[in-house]
Amino acid sequence: MNSEIIISLEHVTKRYKVGDGDFTALSDINLQFKKGEFAGLVGPSGSGKTTLLNIIGSLDSPTEGKAIVMGKNISALSHKESAMLRNYHIGFIFQVYNLMPVYTVFENVEFSLILQNKSAAERKKAVMESLDWVGIADMANKKPSKLSGGEGQRVAIARAMVKRPDILLADEPTANLDAKNAHAILQTMKALNKELNTTFLFSTHDEKVMGYLDRMIHLEDGKIREDEIIPHKLSV
Amino acid sequence: MLFKLAYKNLEGAGLRTWLTVGVLSFAFVIIILINGIVNGFNDQAINDAVNWEIGNGKLQNEKYDAYDPFSIKDGHGILPDSKNKDLVPVLIRQASIYPQGRMVSVTLNGIDINQKLLKLPTILLQQSTEEIPAIIGKRMAASANLKKGDQVLMRWRDSHGTFDAANISVAGIFNTNVTTVDAGQIWISLKKLRAMTDLDKSTTLFIAEKDYKQERVAGWKFLDQDELLKDLRAMVQIERISDSIIYLLLLAIALLAIFDTQVLSVFRRQREIGTYISLGMTRPQVVGLFTIEGSMNSILAIIVGGIYGIPLFLYLSYYGIAIPAGADNMGLSMGEKITPVFGAGLVLGTISLVVISSTIVSFLPSRKIAKMNPVDALKGKIQ
Repeated sequence: MNSEIIISLEHVTKRYKVGDGDFTALSDINLQFKKGEFAGLVGPSGSGKTTLLNIIGSLDSPTEGKAIVMGKNISALSHKESAMLRNYHIGFIFQVYNLMPVYTVFENVEFSLILQNKSAAERKKAVMESLDWVGIADMANKKPSKLSGGEGQRVAIARAMVKRPDILLADEPTANLDAKNAHAILQTMKALNKELNTTFLFSTHDEKVMGYLDRMIHLEDGKIREDEIIPHKLSV
Repeated sequence: MLFKLAYKNLEGAGLRTWLTVGVLSFAFVIIILINGIVNGFNDQAINDAVNWEIGNGKLQNEKYDAYDPFSIKDGHGILPDSKNKDLVPVLIRQASIYPQGRMVSVTLNGIDINQKLLKLPTILLQQSTEEIPAIIGKRMAASANLKKGDQVLMRWRDSHGTFDAANISVAGIFNTNVTTVDAGQIWISLKKLRAMTDLDKSTTLFIAEKDYKQERVAGWKFLDQDELLKDLRAMVQIERISDSIIYLLLLAIALLAIFDTQVLSVFRRQREIGTYISLGMTRPQVVGLFTIEGSMNSILAIIVGGIYGIPLFLYLSYYGIAIPAGADNMGLSMGEKITPVFGAGLVLGTISLVVISSTIVSFLPSRKIAKMNPVDALKGKIQ
C-alpha cells in the first residue's frame, strides 16, 4: 500500500431538514484514506455510514466541512464534474446489486466503459477480464433475473471494477447473501484490492465483512466513536 | 450510445412498448390515410371542375354574375371575332320545363356542339336528328324524372321578353361529379339557343382553351382557374379541418399513452436512475435517455405502421376507395371512387408531426430526473 491520501474528510457535517427542524446525520467527521486501503464504516442503522459513503461518492455533499476525493472538493463540483469523478475514479456496489434487468451480464458490466467512450474491442476485453476476476465469465449472456444472489453481487463487483476505479464504495454488499456467498464475495474483493491496489470502503454492520477489514471506523449517531487499525486476521 | 440503451430498455418493457407502438402506429396510418383521401378528393374535385366546367378560365360578360340569377337576362354580349380565338362560347338563359305536369325552373345553356374542351358529351347534340336535342346530367334526370329519348315541354323568353315554348328531346344523360353543370342545367346547341332567343352572336361567357392568350376586352372580365377554384378549395379546407379533429384525437390518445408510460417510468425506475447517475451518467444524459426512449416509440410506430400501412396505401392508390351511390355527404359531390394521393410531403410531414410530438411528451415528464436527488433515487424514496 502506498501512502497517497485519496480521500480526506475535514470537519464534515451533514444535516437534513426534517419537518421544522434538522436531523444531523454526520457530525464533525475527520478522516483520511490512503490508496489501497480495505476499510469499513461500521455501526448500527442510522449511524451515518451510508451518508458518509454517498458524500465520498459525490452523490451527496456535506452541509459543513470539506470532502476532498481524488484531490477534488466534492462541494465545489458541478453535476458534470461529479459525474466524471464517478465515471473514472469511483465504483459503487449496492446492497440490492442495482443491475439493469433488461441488459445481459455483459452489457451491465460494459455500461461504465460505454460512458467512457471506450472502443468495442477495449470494452470486450475489459468486461471479460472483469467477469473472469469474479468467476462468472460463462454467464456473460445471461439476464440478471436468471442469476442467484451471489452471482448478481459478483456482476455488481465486476461492473464496479471493470473501469479500474481508484475507490470502490460498497454499501452493505453482503446483506442479501448467505454466509458461503458472502465469504466468497469478500475474498474476491480482498484479492482485487491486493491485485489492483483499489481502495475499498465498506458500509456494514455484518460481522463477516468486519473479519476481512484492515481498518474499521466505528460510527455512532453520526460521530466517529473509534478508528481502529486491525492486524490481518484472515488470509486470502 | 443513448439510442442503443433506449432501444434495450424499450425492448425490455415488452408488451407495454408494443401496446403504445400499436396505438401510435394506428394514429400514424390514419393521419396519412385521411389526408391522402382528402388530397385525392381535392385533386379529383379540381380535375373534374376543370374538365367539366371551367377549362383554363372563363372570360365572362361583365354584367353576368354566376351567383346572381337576375344577371342572366342582360349578362351577355358580342365579342369581336378577332378576340374569341381558343375560346368555347356559352350562352346562358333561364327557362322552365314541365315534366309530368310539374314546373321546374332550369338554366338553359347553349354551347358550341363542336367543342372538345369540356367533357360534356356535346357530340350527342351533333348526332341527334330531333328538333331541339338536349343533354342533361344524372342529377337533373333524376329530379325531373327524365330518361334518354324523353321529350319534355320547355318554355323560355326571347330577347324581346316574348314567351315561347317547344318540346326538347333528351339526347343523352351524362355522369359527372360537378353539380354546377348538372343540377337544374339543360345543355343545347348554342346556334339553336341563339335562334330561339333571338340573340344572334351573343354569348354569356367563354371557356378558355389551353392556348388562350388572355387580353383585356372592354365589357368582359377574365377569371382564371385560381379565382374559379377558390370556393372549392375553401370547402376542401373545411373538410380537411374537420377530418384533422379525428386524427388529432387519435394522436392525442397515443401521445397520452407515451406520457403516461414516461411518468410511470420516471417514478418506477428511480433506482435505475440513481444507478445510472452513480455509474457516471450526467443528469442531462439520463433525461436524454428517457426522452429518447419515449420518442423511440414513435420510430417503432413508423416502422410498424409502414409494415401494414404501405401495402394498404399502395392498394388504395391503385384500386381507389369505392363510394356508395348518393354519398354526397361531404358537402361536395364525390365520384364513384376516390383515389387517395399519398405524397412524399404528406408522409414526411406526418412522420415529423408524430416524432416531434412524441419527443415533446417524452421530455416533459423526464425533466423531473434533472431535479432528482440521486441518493433518494437510489433508495426509491421520491414520491
